[in-house]
Amino acid sequence: MTRIIYYLFFTMMCCSNLFASGQKKFPVDSLPETFGSYRATDKLNYIGKELYDYINGGAELYLSYGLVSMTGCKYNGDGLPQVTVEIYEMTSPENAFGVYTQGRDKEAYDYGQGSQSFPDFIFFWKDRYFVTVSTQEVIPESEQAIRYMAGLIDKSIPEKGEKPAIITDLPQEGLLPAGFLYFHHYIWLNAYLFIADYNIINIDENCHAVLAKYGEADARSYLLLVAYSNEEKAMEACKRLQEKYAPELSADNPFVELEDKTWFTVWTKGNKLGAIFNGQTQEKTEKLSKYAINNM
Amino acid sequence: MENLITRRDLLKKTALMAVGGALLLNRPVGAWAWGTEEGAKSKVVLIRNQQLFAGGNQPDSDIAGGMLDEAIRTLTGKKNTKEAWASIVKPADIVGIKTNVWDKFPTPKIVNDLLKERVLQAGVSETNVSVNDRGVKDDPVFKSATALINVRPMRTHAWSGVGSCIKNYIMFSPQPSSYHDDSCASLAALYDLPIVKGKTRLHVLILFNPLFHHRTPQDASEEYMWKYSGLIAGFDPVAVDSVGLRIIQGKRNAFFQEDRPLNPPAKHIEVADTRYHLGTADPAKIELVKLGWDEESYC
Repeated sequence: MTRIIYYLFFTMMCCSNLFASGQKKFPVDSLPETFGSYRATDKLNYIGKELYDYINGGAELYLSYGLVSMTGCKYNGDGLPQVTVEIYEMTSPENAFGVYTQGRDKEAYDYGQGSQSFPDFIFFWKDRYFVTVSTQEVIPESEQAIRYMAGLIDKSIPEKGEKPAIITDLPQEGLLPAGFLYFHHYIWLNAYLFIADYNIINIDENCHAVLAKYGEADARSYLLLVAYSNEEKAMEACKRLQEKYAPELSADNPFVELEDKTWFTVWTKGNKLGAIFNGQTQEKTEKLSKYAINNM
Repeated sequence: MENLITRRDLLKKTALMAVGGALLLNRPVGAWAWGTEEGAKSKVVLIRNQQLFAGGNQPDSDIAGGMLDEAIRTLTGKKNTKEAWASIVKPADIVGIKTNVWDKFPTPKIVNDLLKERVLQAGVSETNVSVNDRGVKDDPVFKSATALINVRPMRTHAWSGVGSCIKNYIMFSPQPSSYHDDSCASLAALYDLPIVKGKTRLHVLILFNPLFHHRTPQDASEEYMWKYSGLIAGFDPVAVDSVGLRIIQGKRNAFFQEDRPLNPPAKHIEVADTRYHLGTADPAKIELVKLGWDEESYC
């Protein structure tokens, strides 16, 4: 009977909205004080680098995507595992999507504009928001609670946002599902393989970069696309990468076989740079670059 | 800029070496000759016991104590535990045990208690021992410490690659965020802070159930922990972390069935060696002594 009442309460609560109509910013005071057997015990509210006070160095991931603020709440209930809600407001939908691409392993859309659901943890992005809802321990009540809160927050974000335009440049053939990362901080250049231990292609907050995986695990190639604010910057980055990475590359020799028998190429088109690392054969590297150039 | 490295540099360097497909710090094996010099190897002891979690989800304190004692005896080369600890701390020492209290994945209390007990058994006065993390800068024992013991669990980290022994000293900094630049590459500089410099007697990296992956910075899901049932002890934090890192990377590759480098790479471990010379990260310069259970050790 208790369980039935609990579910009924969830259903009733799901009909409400956290946002007042037209409100853009997510106000921590709008999160429910109670739901089911849970009550709010700690409000979370951090602006920009104040997030260090909450998660120390982990805050840098969000800051690298233009964090505006984080609001949230910890919920506790008698004998129930804690539930934590964190709502990260980013400067743009692209950045919220970028944070999402850091953690997602599959394509799923249970919540928001893309979500990952686990018994103990749900995260999703929608509009300018990246949302996590987690519980310390999985029991039926806490699992239900995180699903309820994820649904409530999803419904309460009224608008949808656009994904970064550069991801439409990615060739689809051979692209791993959920196999790309959007970013504009150089630290993430090494997300899938070590490329350089410094900012070799001058990535900054004005860039739109995507690193993508192609092919099977034992024959993996990586495509990097970066949109710069102008053509000169793209050409400068291309020249630098060529000089540091493959000085033997030239207009007559645009595909270079490296010491580990993989292939490399780099090019520009307008304000965009493209590069392929770990190409498996010259033919496959040429084909992937050709598709990418056509899309760019 | 001249010391900075690309993947191509590493490929050129390793072209004539045996490359087994394994990567350290996202680098091809054999790429460690930079910035290190010939010399004595750093001794690191890895001990594992398959029975550590035999009683359930909590580590058995007696087994953990036995592991710690055997590791310290092996590390110091002493025949018994008392002699081993006597070579690490003296009765007159003031000892700060730097632990880690992150609520999702703290240093196990039994390890903190064991270390404190062993320090007391070495003759140190109870008033001269403190176990602390975030309050170290204001802790009278730490402020006047003559000896530090560094202990923490190994885990992945969203900005520094891993939470390591080197990183565990971040709370000694007046401004921890000042070390965040370049994915915390310069964490080894913490060891030059006056409150720390020259005081560390022992590093213990706990791998009872290490966290080898996370989905967001605050994530510490049991799905990405495994009962490795081990701990690493050493005097060289870079060598200790380097071994721990290999284990984490090995597990990631096995679990995901592909090369799944840490994101971002644990650059601070490499830089601690090559720029700060705090110790060695080069496997060829580490004397790794493995004790106990060896199945899927990843090192």
